Amino acid sequence: MIEELFLIEKHTYRDSCIHRLDARVKIIIAFAAIVAIVSVPYSTIIYTVGSVFFLFFMILWALSRLSPKIYFWRLAMVLPFGIFIIIFQIFFENRYYEVFHPIVSLPFNIHIYAESVEFASILLVKFLVCISFIILLSSTTRMQNLLEGAGRLGLPPEFALVLGMMVRYLFVFAYMFRKVNESLQTRCFDPFNRDVAWKYRIRMLGYTIGTMFIRAYEQGERTYMAMLCRGYGRDSHLFIRKKPLLRQDWAFLVTGMTVIVAVPVLTWVLYAS
Amino acid sequence: MHIPDGFIPITQSAVYWVIALLFIALSLRWARRELSEEKVPIVAVLAAAIFAMQAFNLPVGMGTSGHLVGGALAAIVLGSPFAAVFILTIVLIIQGVIFGDGGITTMGANIINMGVIGGFVGFYGYVGIKSIIKTPFVSAGIAAWFACFIPALAASVELWIAGTFPLVPGLIAMGTYHAAIGVIEAFITAVAVYLIWHARPDLDWSEKKTLEPGKVAAA
Repeated sequence: MIEELFLIEKHTYRDSCIHRLDARVKIIIAFAAIVAIVSVPYSTIIYTVGSVFFLFFMILWALSRLSPKIYFWRLAMVLPFGIFIIIFQIFFENRYYEVFHPIVSLPFNIHIYAESVEFASILLVKFLVCISFIILLSSTTRMQNLLEGAGRLGLPPEFALVLGMMVRYLFVFAYMFRKVNESLQTRCFDPFNRDVAWKYRIRMLGYTIGTMFIRAYEQGERTYMAMLCRGYGRDSHLFIRKKPLLRQDWAFLVTGMTVIVAVPVLTWVLYAS
Repeated sequence: MHIPDGFIPITQSAVYWVIALLFIALSLRWARRELSEEKVPIVAVLAAAIFAMQAFNLPVGMGTSGHLVGGALAAIVLGSPFAAVFILTIVLIIQGVIFGDGGITTMGANIINMGVIGGFVGFYGYVGIKSIIKTPFVSAGIAAWFACFIPALAASVELWIAGTFPLVPGLIAMGTYHAAIGVIEAFITAVAVYLIWHARPDLDWSEKKTLEPGKVAAA
């Protein structure tokens, strides 16, 4: 995940009308879309709402001028952590349906139910739409801008300070990991080599973890001391300039929010009537 | 262990968020009171370390994902369960907003599982076990195992309450994975705590120290 951080950040340095939008607007639109799609009940109404939301996402992705490959690569990274629970749904009954009709019967009294397949597809639609908006947000907004945007939206300064430092230390950590790993390789140490006594391997791994931690901490401490020398103090917080939204930011915010609110409401009204 | 968006209905997500916000407010109070200049780097490094630890995750067939938690490490090193809530909230924000690992509406539930349950079980488990066996590093390891295992069970229960997964298969899958992963977590926590306190005794904030009159703090 650490290596991917470099790649994700690289995409945010491109230029497009979506990249240029204020981070606050993108955060609000992405979060609103997620809340809206999650708020739709577990019913087939989600297919219509999900399709329109996904179309909206595709328009925004096209406007961001990012390759679809980037989207699929990012999706492939996250998909395994939700897809299995969705796939296994088809074998279980759930509380959202009263009657279950088996469509496939397997040995050991295992059945695949038509209703469970439908429920799994509903979960999949919700999952895909939510992930897509997060991918759009993080692929078009630099981390520093996200942090400032979150600060302007009311993220407590204590969180903003540690978040900012954590992101920097993450790279320090990755660098220390690489250095420690290289030094182990030069000594031909392989933790999976069974010819070496397991006690020795465990001791070496223990030292490695501890050394990596202490080195990363001391590097962080030196950086922090340098910050203190430049006048940084306990009560200093990330300086966030006041920045009014531009006309295009407002236009995007109003259009986006209209789509996000109107689509589920209109679909619900249509289904109800 | 990260529950993605859409797997918990919005009303239940809101309840988890309210509970999580209560603990986040308490953790902010801890940060305002305890986050001194020498602690800021270790809080940030711990957050980065926990992020790196959680990055090594595996998909769990009948659950969400299996990974190390780090709540016990944060709580033991910084001497407060609220430190774990503070740090895990930051880690979960980065994971949810940048990587899409976990969710936005489900972040409240994830903070409760990994930050609150992980932190409190890790810290009070450590305090309780240490009072019996008197070895801080072994106590840290055992507490870390529980702090990895119990949040995984909590995630399964939340998915069951949400109606998106049955209880028993979820408990078995998440419990089995995290019982095994917990052994690695226990080892890493015990080693990290041992080395930090041996290499840098000034970083041991696990117990409140009072200065004797006339003595100057070594740090």
